[in-house]
Amino acid sequence: MPAEHHVDPTRLEAAACFDAAVPFDAAVPLDVAACFDAAATALARSRAAALDASHELLAHYADTGEAATQRTVDTLVNQAGDALGALGDAFAGTSRTLQAAASRQRHAQGA
Amino acid sequence: MTAILVHGDHISCSRVGGGMRRESSRLREHGQFLEDAARELAAAEGPDAAAARSSCVASLGVLRAAADLLDDAGAALQRYATDLAEGHELGRRAELRVQGAGLFLDGTRVIEPWGPAGAHESELRRALVPEVQARVDLATAHVGRARGRLRREMARLSQGFGSAASPSAEPSSRAASSSTTT
Repeated sequence: MPAEHHVDPTRLEAAACFDAAVPFDAAVPLDVAACFDAAATALARSRAAALDASHELLAHYADTGEAATQRTVDTLVNQAGDALGALGDAFAGTSRTLQAAASRQRHAQGA
Repeated sequence: MTAILVHGDHISCSRVGGGMRRESSRLREHGQFLEDAARELAAAEGPDAAAARSSCVASLGVLRAAADLLDDAGAALQRYATDLAEGHELGRRAELRVQGAGLFLDGTRVIEPWGPAGAHESELRRALVPEVQARVDLATAHVGRARGRLRREMARLSQGFGSAASPSAEPSSRAASSSTTT
């Protein structure tokens, strides 16, 4: 088999994890700590968005005009607000964990 | 004795529904950042990276599920707002018809006015009651069906949010915690 037909397995594995639109260069070493930081930042932003959504939901009132219907809407709004708040808390915890992992990674790289 | 036939404020329903869909859209945008982060982590090696990636993927799943539920709830409220606005218009026309026929509304029931009236006049009013009542029933049935749909939809979506808020829906933090111990 000609040399140009050989497939570098490490390159193939990495490419499989990436979207086709995102170029991957195996020659460039991956900064794992930076990846952790990016994920932590994305989670922190998602947390803020979830909490904003929770506050936004609970700040307004939809008058449906009938008691039974009003109860189901109020229940949904409260449950959605609680769920988004819980989601925000979970994201915050995961974000902190990833930040800690990034610090460990940098420490290990430095050592 | 003429009462308001259709209660509720379609503008507030529409506003809340629109707000839900707007927040859903924002959550999806943030989900995209999370997806990008998970994709970058896929190229990293080591147990920490694998756990971090699964945390991101799990968080992304929960975030998207919440965004979908919120969008569905907003859409249901917006549909209801449209139905309620139509109900208000049907109700307004029915109320005008009641007044025009010299009749009254007792709740959703069309009745003849109290007090003395000539036999001919009374007979004419009585003859109009079924037709006017049918108009009133059209308005109340329209709004009743819309309310039934909204109640069913809200109950279904509430269950979804209830399970989203339960501890079993937080695999992300558990997976990420495991990464710190590796």
